[in-house]
Amino acid sequence: MKSFQKSKIMQVVCGVMLLGGVLAGCTSTTVDEFRQAETGIEHDESVVILGRRQASDYETRSEFVDCVGDRLSKGENAISVIPEQEFVDAMFPWFEPRTAPLRTRDLERLMAEQVVAEKMNEFGVRYIVWLDGFTETTGRTGSISCTIGPGGAGCFGFGSWEDDSNFDARIWDVSSATSVGTISTDANGQSYLPALVIPIPLIARVEANACSRLASQLKDFVNGS
Amino acid sequence: MKYFAIKSRTCLVIIALLLAGCGVSNVVIEGSFPTPNIAKLPLSIAVYYDDALRDFAYMEYTETGQEEFNIESGTSHMQLFNAILPAMFDRVVFINSMDDAPAQGVDAVFVPAIEEFQLALPAKTKLDVYEVWIKYNMRLLTASGDYIADWVLTSYGKTPQATFLSPEEGISEAAIVALRDLASSFSLSFSQVPEVRDWLNTL
Repeated sequence: MKSFQKSKIMQVVCGVMLLGGVLAGCTSTTVDEFRQAETGIEHDESVVILGRRQASDYETRSEFVDCVGDRLSKGENAISVIPEQEFVDAMFPWFEPRTAPLRTRDLERLMAEQVVAEKMNEFGVRYIVWLDGFTETTGRTGSISCTIGPGGAGCFGFGSWEDDSNFDARIWDVSSATSVGTISTDANGQSYLPALVIPIPLIARVEANACSRLASQLKDFVNGS
Repeated sequence: MKYFAIKSRTCLVIIALLLAGCGVSNVVIEGSFPTPNIAKLPLSIAVYYDDALRDFAYMEYTETGQEEFNIESGTSHMQLFNAILPAMFDRVVFINSMDDAPAQGVDAVFVPAIEEFQLALPAKTKLDVYEVWIKYNMRLLTASGDYIADWVLTSYGKTPQATFLSPEEGISEAAIVALRDLASSFSLSFSQVPEVRDWLNTL
């Protein structure tokens, strides 16, 4: 009787995991590209990806910036990417939240500073990519309760939430101090947390998907393909 | 009786641990600051950090008036100025007293002071960011202590709340961002302060 109950629980857990596996994959991502000029990059040129941090209520997470940079610098048609913190420290104090150029006009003015132009040349920066956006979690529903007793511990319940990632990548050509295009990514997905004795997190990889799709589109854009 | 003694001791240890959990958290701001890439001014400057700046600490209280966070940032402020001033001026000397200034043969003495420190915690603001706001009074004096310029500078830093980020780490990161903000605005705006600009024109 006891083994029958155990196998029944295992069947339910497996069923939930299978269903979750299918549902967790349900992340939809939309990528829009707006091109303003021809692009291309030489082997000795680099790209720097910077997060916008001027907004008062959010800031682009450095983990997302690193993720896009990491994907851009790997695989086919890989591009040389300068790590964000290394670049910002080397260019200090010109790329801090208060002093960073907001428009290409500001970049032109910045490049007139000899020290800035020299550092840019040293790095071989051809494109600056400004990432701006955040991931918002909404629609949290359900509840889970956990108990500990002399016979053991367990959790029961169900929770779910929705994640929505919106990121824009604005690409500036340093050589001409112009904006060459914008890539926008919108990804959303539902995550579930059923608990049958143990909580089973079925997380939609919304931000990871946004990063992957944005990086892939950005790589093609910069390479001019 | 012996059993009772052990039990009491255990109880005291537990109470002590619980009380320690409710006490004030000490946050020492520590960070490294990059050297600014700016054109140096042909000036010889002495720098004097008074005791108020050296030992600067800010206490944040809970809504019920209990001490919550003691934020020590005097040392990090000195480290910051030590990093940026030699990149801004041709010659920088650090003095321990204003009386040492005339012997150094400097053009001016720089005396920074912190006037106000404000902290915003996610638990109180209901925003997902830790925020630090600092107001400074920057003073530039002659070697004999006469007034040259006196101006106010504010700096702001924020860091997003994250799952594995403790409040202490959040405060520290926001303070470091605020210190970098101070360094960038101070180094870029120094010669544009009207009184400083007028003084530079007289040299």
